[in-house]
Amino acid sequence: MKHYIGIAGTHAKGSTNTKLINFIQKHLAGKAEVELVDVTNWPVFHKTENFALPAGVKEVADKIAAADGVIIATPEYDHSIPASLMNGLAWLSYGIHPFDNKPVMITGASYGALGTSRAQAHIRRILDAPEIHARTLSSSDFMVSRSLGAFDDEGNLTDAALVKRFDALFAEFEVLVEVVATLAEASRVAEADAEKLAHEG
Amino acid sequence: MKLVAIAGSFDKGSYNRMLVDFMAKEYTDLADIEVLDVDQVPLFDRDLDYKDFPQLVELNAKISAADGVILATPEHNHTTTVVMKSILEWLSSDVHPFQDKAVMIVGASYLIQGTSRAQADLREILDAPGVNAIPMTGNEFLMGNCQDKFDENGNISDEGTVKFLKGVLAKFTEWVNMVNGTGVVEAAADDWKNEDLTASGKTDTTIDVDMMSKDWVNQASAKVNAASDRDYVKLDSGVLSVNQLNWFLKTMPMELTFMDDNAQFIYYNHMLDRDDMLAPRYPWQTGMPMSEVHPERAKDGVKYVIHQLRTGKKDLVEMPVPGNKLNEKWIMHYYKRMADDNGQFRGINEWVLDLWPIVKSYLDMTGQKLVQDPTKAVDAEGGASSSAAPATPAVDASAGASEEEATPAPAAPAVDASAGASDEEETTTATPVKPVQVETTSVDTAAGASDEERDDAEKGIPDAADEAVDTDAGASM
Repeated sequence: MKHYIGIAGTHAKGSTNTKLINFIQKHLAGKAEVELVDVTNWPVFHKTENFALPAGVKEVADKIAAADGVIIATPEYDHSIPASLMNGLAWLSYGIHPFDNKPVMITGASYGALGTSRAQAHIRRILDAPEIHARTLSSSDFMVSRSLGAFDDEGNLTDAALVKRFDALFAEFEVLVEVVATLAEASRVAEADAEKLAHEG
Repeated sequence: MKLVAIAGSFDKGSYNRMLVDFMAKEYTDLADIEVLDVDQVPLFDRDLDYKDFPQLVELNAKISAADGVILATPEHNHTTTVVMKSILEWLSSDVHPFQDKAVMIVGASYLIQGTSRAQADLREILDAPGVNAIPMTGNEFLMGNCQDKFDENGNISDEGTVKFLKGVLAKFTEWVNMVNGTGVVEAAADDWKNEDLTASGKTDTTIDVDMMSKDWVNQASAKVNAASDRDYVKLDSGVLSVNQLNWFLKTMPMELTFMDDNAQFIYYNHMLDRDDMLAPRYPWQTGMPMSEVHPERAKDGVKYVIHQLRTGKKDLVEMPVPGNKLNEKWIMHYYKRMADDNGQFRGINEWVLDLWPIVKSYLDMTGQKLVQDPTKAVDAEGGASSSAAPATPAVDASAGASEEEATPAPAAPAVDASAGASDEEETTTATPVKPVQVETTSVDTAAGASDEERDDAEKGIPDAADEAVDTDAGASM
């Protein structure tokens, strides 16, 4: 059974994205193992001496590196992903590269109708950056709109069609996971570039 | 103009911080720029209260008070930084200092891209409903290879870049004025150029007779059957015959000229022959439009003064002429706005006189002497640099059909008529910005817009409707 890391983009109380990632974990039980980690509680990203990382970052990085893939549930704040999630990704690409070639599935829940479409577009670009270099599935936004009414008391998505869509996307994602595993031995074209890169400031 | 600047990094040696520090130091003639610190801003968390963090409180206050904001963004992972995003999240939740705020984006990067992606993302973020800033379009500034661009004192070493950035900042000051509505005033500053000195229109007192005729006075009188000689006219307040009016006006202690609201020169009090006048003119010039009684070089100044008075921006314009001599001769031209009972502009009363004899007689009467005030610098010519000598809308007999040698006419009129003129006069040489109606964002209750608001609601913008939907979620805050 594949092992995935699940990340919610915010630790805010009552976050529907936390609900979403919890649902995904539960929904995939028996099909895939989803381990939840918190990347949103670290200090504000800044350059450190010798690329020293705050406590807890390396541990999460190692889990990601070891996993078959990552599933992210992101809110949309001001047309983008929250600073708290940006911050997690910033530390997780500071001198370390756990996301390198890592399959990432992107999901998001929003209170309104747009379902985090812009945040998802943004995070795709961020995951594309050389120091992260993740692998996302194209044309696969999974969006939960009007999220405050989308879950029942047990935290399950009530819209059956939406759950079906998730299953279809997840099936595609698992294909991506297989493909990437096969490519894992291939050389990184950008490896030399990444070595030259210093975080800009 | 007061601007604040924020760099999206508090790293020591941050080039984006260096960039805004440089701008604040270098471009003081364009704006007063204050760079704000961001190192104590916590990661945005909707469960926390911004008021508990003094630096956030200060950021909110200073941004609210500023005319505009400069954001300098590094690029991390193809986007703007955590610091920048976090600040914007804070300042778009419980408080909204960026609402309708003019913003300028710059960025410095180690690599060639020069923060191109970060800046694009930042624009999208500034567009979001909780932020609703008004970032300047175009006029990008991207600095690549920043580690090579600054000297050891934090100054940009390339002159070309310093100049270029100054140009972008100048554009931003225009943007700020436009956004803040002060731009409309700037644009109107160019209207004076439209003053018609040719009197091609008419006013309700215009007499339909060839303006260029050297016999205009007689022709115009005949046309309207004007009162003359012993005919009486009822004035406010008195009754004078035309002869009496002439005696009276000709003994005024100044040369008087009447320009009507159609820019036609229709009267002067002809107390002296032309050669003895302070502002010389010939009787046959009466009736001509302003364009015919001023040399080309004076016309801009004429337009400007007429415009100031026509629009009521000024009620009186005062100008010394070139050639004055301290404590010997001080000829002044005064242009006074004339208006009817409704305050409508009805022309300009120009009077010209030499102030010195008046001052001298006062000093003689009171037994006083003049001394130079050491705190004020006035040059002998007329209180102004001679290169920007004032124009005079006075009839200048050297223009038009004069056969004589031109009198020493005033020097080239400056658009900047503040030279030598009264202190109240304000001129601007800034490139005016086209006035644009800046619409304040209105709350749009149509489905689309309110959905946008609600998309952002997960960030913590309170929405009572959401709370009703799901009481289980805890407050949507």
